[in-house]
Amino acid sequence: MISTVYAVLFYLATFLMVAGVGMKVFKYATTPVPLNIVVSPAPRTKRGVVFRMFREVIFFESLFKSNKWIWLFGYLFHWGMLIVLLRHFRYFTLNTWWWVEIISPIGKLMAFAMLAGLLGLWARRIFQERIRYISNPSDHLMLALLVGIAGSGTMMSYVTHTDIINVKAYFLGLMRFDLSHTLPADPILMAHLGMVVILMIIFPISKLLHVPGVFFAPSRTLVDNAREKRRVSKWARNLPPLPEGIPAKEEG
Amino acid sequence: MAAYDVNGTSVEHDEEGYITNLSEWTKELADVIAVAEEIEMGEEHWAVVNFLREYYEEYQIAPAVRVLIKSIKKSMGPEVGNNKYMYELFPYGPAKQACKIAGLPKPTGCV
Amino acid sequence: MAPLDDDKKDVPIFSDYPSQMPKIECGASLDTNTFKAYPEHNEALGFPGELIDNWQEVAIAKIGELAKKNRAFQVYLDACVKCGACTDKCHYFLGTGDPKNMPVARQDLLRSVYRRYYTFAGKYFPWLVGARDLTKEVLDEWYTYYHQCSQCRRCSVACPYGIDTAEISMAAREILDTVGVGQKYCNEIIAKLKKTGNNLGLNPKALRATLEDLEEDLEDETGIEVKIPLDVKGADVLLITPSADFFAEPHIDGLLGYAKVFHASGVSWTISSYASEAANFGMFIGSYENMREVSWRIRQAAKDLGVKRIIFGECGHAWRVGYSFLNTLAGPFDFLDQNYPIPQHILEFTLDEIEAGKLKIDKSKNDEHIMTYHDSCNVARGSAMGPKEGGQFDVPRAVIKAVCNNFHDMERDTIRENTFCCGGGGGLLTDDLMDLRIKGAKPRMTALQQVTEDHGVNKMAAICAICKTQFSKVMPKYGYDMDSVMSVHQLVANAVILDGQETDEADPAAAEETP
Repeated sequence: MISTVYAVLFYLATFLMVAGVGMKVFKYATTPVPLNIVVSPAPRTKRGVVFRMFREVIFFESLFKSNKWIWLFGYLFHWGMLIVLLRHFRYFTLNTWWWVEIISPIGKLMAFAMLAGLLGLWARRIFQERIRYISNPSDHLMLALLVGIAGSGTMMSYVTHTDIINVKAYFLGLMRFDLSHTLPADPILMAHLGMVVILMIIFPISKLLHVPGVFFAPSRTLVDNAREKRRVSKWARNLPPLPEGIPAKEEG
Repeated sequence: MAAYDVNGTSVEHDEEGYITNLSEWTKELADVIAVAEEIEMGEEHWAVVNFLREYYEEYQIAPAVRVLIKSIKKSMGPEVGNNKYMYELFPYGPAKQACKIAGLPKPTGCV
Repeated sequence: MAPLDDDKKDVPIFSDYPSQMPKIECGASLDTNTFKAYPEHNEALGFPGELIDNWQEVAIAKIGELAKKNRAFQVYLDACVKCGACTDKCHYFLGTGDPKNMPVARQDLLRSVYRRYYTFAGKYFPWLVGARDLTKEVLDEWYTYYHQCSQCRRCSVACPYGIDTAEISMAAREILDTVGVGQKYCNEIIAKLKKTGNNLGLNPKALRATLEDLEEDLEDETGIEVKIPLDVKGADVLLITPSADFFAEPHIDGLLGYAKVFHASGVSWTISSYASEAANFGMFIGSYENMREVSWRIRQAAKDLGVKRIIFGECGHAWRVGYSFLNTLAGPFDFLDQNYPIPQHILEFTLDEIEAGKLKIDKSKNDEHIMTYHDSCNVARGSAMGPKEGGQFDVPRAVIKAVCNNFHDMERDTIRENTFCCGGGGGLLTDDLMDLRIKGAKPRMTALQQVTEDHGVNKMAAICAICKTQFSKVMPKYGYDMDSVMSVHQLVANAVILDGQETDEADPAAAEETP
């Protein structure tokens, strides 16, 4: 019974996340950029912009320059999470890919990096007056959710192992629309998966939109070529035309 | 809208004390504005105010500070006609404060 | 109506270092408000004269409209994670300690309303995500705090996603204008420009008289006829410069510098009385339409005069509009000479002339000045110069160093892309915001004081009319003379020696007097 509920939840969450983020990405991509508002100094070529964005996404370059603590915690968290997520491929592939095997031992450890990063960010949110001021309940809940996911996952890795063979069978089944497998009735696993479902559902309606957003911020993604290239958006083209000559009365 | 009181006649001014109807300016009004600006009008102040009014009459705008100073230098000598002394006469700037007293509109823009 | 009473203000004191954190004080600058525009100002810009009855409905609809018309607005409203990296980057926050002057908090004033009406979470769980209804109090708060942002973009550099508070602040001002709440300073000026061609309201006759007066000064100084041409058809170059260059100090000295450089280079040039303004306050109020209309005058003048090139004078936000927007707003400029950048900055022009050896320079003329350079925010983060990335930092410095022996940069975190705003940008250069301007200048003044102590710096050069006016007003509050700020072309003017110019050295009597 509970396995079926989770199956439905996972299908629903996957749909909402993919459709929601897809719609947002479509909206971002199709919304015009009426002026070149790149923050300079900026690359003069497309290739330069790709390199700039690579540094932003891989190294969090701007954040590194602006705040070392937030960078450190944010970096630990994001990279920890990425490796942990990649490690999770072993639960979704029948034969674990070779590179997943390689990162698996590190992946297990990276959970601690992820947790340390999250707790560091949370501590700043609580104790740093400026950040406390700008925090909403949702900002704390988001951290709680991620800490919950990482914490329950780590528990299952290090403390109370769940029946991972069955979990894997269940998810491999889900991916093939085969609902015959059941999840182990393990409260920590239930909590872990439940929180993941919540995270997936709120992805397109929360600040997690920073993930697609970073690739669409005109201040970073535009090429510094405004003197050479015009960019007149559709709505601007429809503005009433202005006169070419100088009205006689105003001539000096 | 607030107003200056000149012997019982009221003359409207904007938030910053510039009169709104330039034709209402009189010498008496200038004295009233000067009091509000905490300035005691002397001969040198009047030389500035008079030049501003003459210039405005001709060009419909206040002169550049440099033009003002050059003219005062010619009429009253270099001891009066210099930037520093102008700020002593009109601590909040010869352009803005003197214009206010002279009943000219406030110079706008990045000035 | 006494002038601003200095005694009643907090006397500004330097921070220990430029980015020193203030004590956070909620509402510290809540009462700092700028005068509202009169109906005639708003109407001249195509906005309702005063607050309309259905303002709430119109404002909410406008948020949606802007999100559809401008990707930046949409993405920036969505993407912020409240990481806090921007919170200590705003000079107005550092100067006032009001937490609503932290960039993210400033964005949130509008983001909270966007969330309430345009997002699932805000519609159904407003308390959770800090969403709130658009009330009159909120509207007033927008007016207050979006007029305490100079749109300098320092926060955008700090943001991991590049979220640019300037874009939010411009959008907020446009929404305010749309419901009839404009700012007097900006809107009066734009209205004036549409009538007279410049922010000052300088008519062609007065402009001509002023320029003739300045030509006289130049001849007195150099002994040769250096022209400042006006409305000359067929000139090669149309100079678009802020009208402050015709009026204020030290701006005028910059104009004299351009005139000398043009004279020495032999390029024919002219100013236009129709487009006698580089500034474009349409940007400050976030109005594409007004910005386009103001820009368009430059195109009209260039065509009318039949020039081949357009060069911009020293004006910060004008150069952002010129460099980044002009081609889009008033292009294509296919009728100009394509061998030159369109438009070109006067510093690009001057540096080219210097490097080509066309200017005779005596650097010792500036020896009394120990210089530093203030990167103007809009030039630093909203434009570029020259062929190389970062040219907007290097070109001005190269020119200064070419005409000046003593130069020291301020602390790295306060210059180049991290430069602090002068405190008067973005349409805040108005007397009613003097208190804010003084406080906002604090980080810059602290950085200046450091180089004064370390290297004896006594002058700061700038290439922005707003910066120059702002500094000449606030520097005395920090113990500097008002003429401690200079135009870069003022330094050029000092050092350049024109052919046939009478110099002290050439005059034996004068030479004998100098020991």
